[in-house]
Amino acid sequence: MIAALAREWRHLAAPARIGLVVLALLAGVAVALGLADVAATRADIARVVQLEQRETAAITGFAKGDPGELGYYRNHPAWRAPGDLAFLAPGRGDAVPAVLRLRILALEGQINDNEAANPELLLAGRFDFAFVTLYLAPLLLIALLHDLWSSEREAGRLAALASLPGAARRLWAPRALLRTGGVALALLVPLLIGGALAGTAPLRLAVAAGLVLASLAFWALVTLLVARQEAQSATQATILAGLWFAITLVVPAAAHLAINAAVPLPDAAAITRENREEVHAGWDRPKPKTMARFVALYPEYRAAAQVTRIFDWKWYFAFQHLGDMAVAADSQAREAGIARREALAQGLGWLLPPIKAAQAMQHLAGSDVAADLAFRARLRAHHRALREYHYPFLFAGRPMTAADIAAAPAFAATAQKSIVR
Amino acid sequence: MRRIGRIAAGQLRLFVRSRLALVALLLLAMLSAIAALTGAAQAERMAAERAQAQAAANTSFANQPDRHPHRMVHYGTYALRPLGGLAAFDPGVDAFAGSLLYLEGHRQNATTLGTARESSGLIRFGQLTPAFVLRVLVPLLLVFAGFAMIVGERQGGLITLHLGHGVRPHEYLAGKALALGAVAGVAALPALAALGWAAAHTPADAGVAGVMALAVLLWLLLWVLGVTLASARAATAQSALLGLVLVWALLVVLVPRAAAGVAAIAHPLPTKAETDLIIHAELRALGDSHNPDDPHFAAFKAGLLRRYQVNRVEDLPFNYRGALSAEGERLTSQLFARHAAEAAARQRAQHRLLALAGLVSPAIGFAQASMAGAGTDLASHLAFLDAAEAHRYRLVQSLNGLHTFQVRAADDATRSRDPIAERQSRISAHFWADQQPFHFAGPAPAARIAGMLPGLGVMLAWALVLGWLLARIARRGLP
Repeated sequence: MIAALAREWRHLAAPARIGLVVLALLAGVAVALGLADVAATRADIARVVQLEQRETAAITGFAKGDPGELGYYRNHPAWRAPGDLAFLAPGRGDAVPAVLRLRILALEGQINDNEAANPELLLAGRFDFAFVTLYLAPLLLIALLHDLWSSEREAGRLAALASLPGAARRLWAPRALLRTGGVALALLVPLLIGGALAGTAPLRLAVAAGLVLASLAFWALVTLLVARQEAQSATQATILAGLWFAITLVVPAAAHLAINAAVPLPDAAAITRENREEVHAGWDRPKPKTMARFVALYPEYRAAAQVTRIFDWKWYFAFQHLGDMAVAADSQAREAGIARREALAQGLGWLLPPIKAAQAMQHLAGSDVAADLAFRARLRAHHRALREYHYPFLFAGRPMTAADIAAAPAFAATAQKSIVR
Repeated sequence: MRRIGRIAAGQLRLFVRSRLALVALLLLAMLSAIAALTGAAQAERMAAERAQAQAAANTSFANQPDRHPHRMVHYGTYALRPLGGLAAFDPGVDAFAGSLLYLEGHRQNATTLGTARESSGLIRFGQLTPAFVLRVLVPLLLVFAGFAMIVGERQGGLITLHLGHGVRPHEYLAGKALALGAVAGVAALPALAALGWAAAHTPADAGVAGVMALAVLLWLLLWVLGVTLASARAATAQSALLGLVLVWALLVVLVPRAAAGVAAIAHPLPTKAETDLIIHAELRALGDSHNPDDPHFAAFKAGLLRRYQVNRVEDLPFNYRGALSAEGERLTSQLFARHAAEAAARQRAQHRLLALAGLVSPAIGFAQASMAGAGTDLASHLAFLDAAEAHRYRLVQSLNGLHTFQVRAADDATRSRDPIAERQSRISAHFWADQQPFHFAGPAPAARIAGMLPGLGVMLAWALVLGWLLARIARRGLP
């Protein structure tokens, strides 16, 4: 078998060898860019966390322990730490921020903030490992395998070759295997090097490699099925390139249109506006009513809920929270709608294996819609923890000491829980 | 001329007879029609939604009751990026650039919303719009339709037959290119119709739409010439096909992405969070409004006292707190403007790098030209951000002016203790209705056409080179 593979490598035409080398180079560049992106994202996060500490020190200086001032001015950073496979499909420069700052004011006005990214670069799409695997590798595979039989037929050798005893085992299998294996190696070697550099957990790296192999296996199978047909090599190439084109470009783009049309979302601009109206109406509503609504949610503060002054921070933060509560249902419905759209897209992936492989790779990289939604859930939980940390100080009128300020809940970086997340 | 027509007609008959090419063309026309129809419906809906949201924001601002003007500074308003009529043809960066901006005092907020953040991950595979169909799909159709049209006849010995009948090489090539051009025309028809329809809806854009149609024709001409050239030069039909698909993948799929990746690394953008933090730190160095002994604000106060020849701020002929707010806003906004200009400069540098990559891949040139024409490019997004910030500053300073001149200083000083002062510190609601609402028309047609020129130039250069190569083949005789 080894000898047969070596013979097939010698028979491989120069353009095919160049194609394999170029693919390996492109995959290598994609992995290197991914690793650089991940490092830059980590540096972004670290800088923000560090600058925020300086900012908090400055606020501590002028707030003089007033929990209201601290609650109003202090920001708490939260971030999406890139995981050990983030380099496959990094999210730096996405509209979804990798790091943002939360205050204990109404969350709805903060959680939708976009990153200050260049939209033109996002539109172009990313040159990452997932892209090389989904788009480029299959094209090379098709080029290498589509005329496996037809090239020999067109050269007039097919009948002679087919009549050799054990031709399938001795000739076609090694030939197909070498070409598919070459494409697989061109992808897997850069992937494994990237994984080693990123310190990826072996099991997760194996899953990523499995996705690459599954995607290639699909294309190899489809290509061989077409190649087996008695047709001219040019016709076979046309059919396969058309299939590639439909699966990677046309169907996803059309499905995106259909899914967004099928699952309408509540109007986000209206939700934002309603949240602001609710918050600002708080200034004008009778204070006892506002506080009664708040203590219905937080009965532990019933005894301390009376507001006698014209302005009181606990009342201010109470109506901030009520503003969020007013749109909670709409906001949730919106996120559920986005999740539904993503679920439909994932469903499409089961019909088209290469799409599924790309989706799974984005999932492993933590840059998919599910990761975005999970991040939003963690932001909500963190915001809640921060609010609830401040409430006892606000309602007891107790100043915050330096130790109290330092003890505010810190954002917990993601824990890698399962194989896939 | 007659012979060119005959060659073209013959080739067209072959196209029609080839089941595969006909099916592909029909499928593409269908896709193109779907893209055009849904694109128009979607753009119309989004434009209406945004106009409606803008009107709602303006109305709720104008309808606020009597209030302290600083409350209105925090109440703020919204700016929505409008969507022009030609966005139906090419929505450009719209899905990826937030469309809603909350404008308030002391803060320069991030944009929110955007189709990209509310869609499934499929949006990364591209959006089916007329511009996408023309940029990505039609060229590949032309490759499939035309790769064998010359090399196939040479392999079959038909060329010699043609030339034997007195057809000259340039006539033969022109006829083939003409036939492929007809296919391109049919394939582009739905998208061009969409463009025409959009232009009919917004007559002011008709001129831009005309230039955009020109860009489309130029882009398809490149592919007609390229495919003809490859088919004339290739040794076998198969190598013509593989070569053309490779070139297509490189130019349309690979280079634009790779260029974007390079641009992001060459001109990195700071995160919004970091910029905000740097602005805070710079602001403290400039003048810390929380510090009673801050030199900047002390000097500001001393300057006012001197100018009005009084000893205490209470004796100033206006409300000092309002003036202080205006000075604070002036300082923060200076920093906002500087950092926003820096970020915009970096994004423009990234855009120029992409434009440069357009020399290698005219797909970038076509995309940039079409977005610029549709008013959905980076430049129009940055113009929106600028307009929104200018509006924010004007509005906040106008409110600070009301705070300074319409709210009595004594009421302002005691309003958080004294309910009567609190009531008196509220000013009439008509002041809110008097504020100018946000308005952004997007870049003017002339500016948009100017934005298209680099892309058009690149495509024209490519067309000339390809035309020259074809002419050379015609001169030397077909291989």
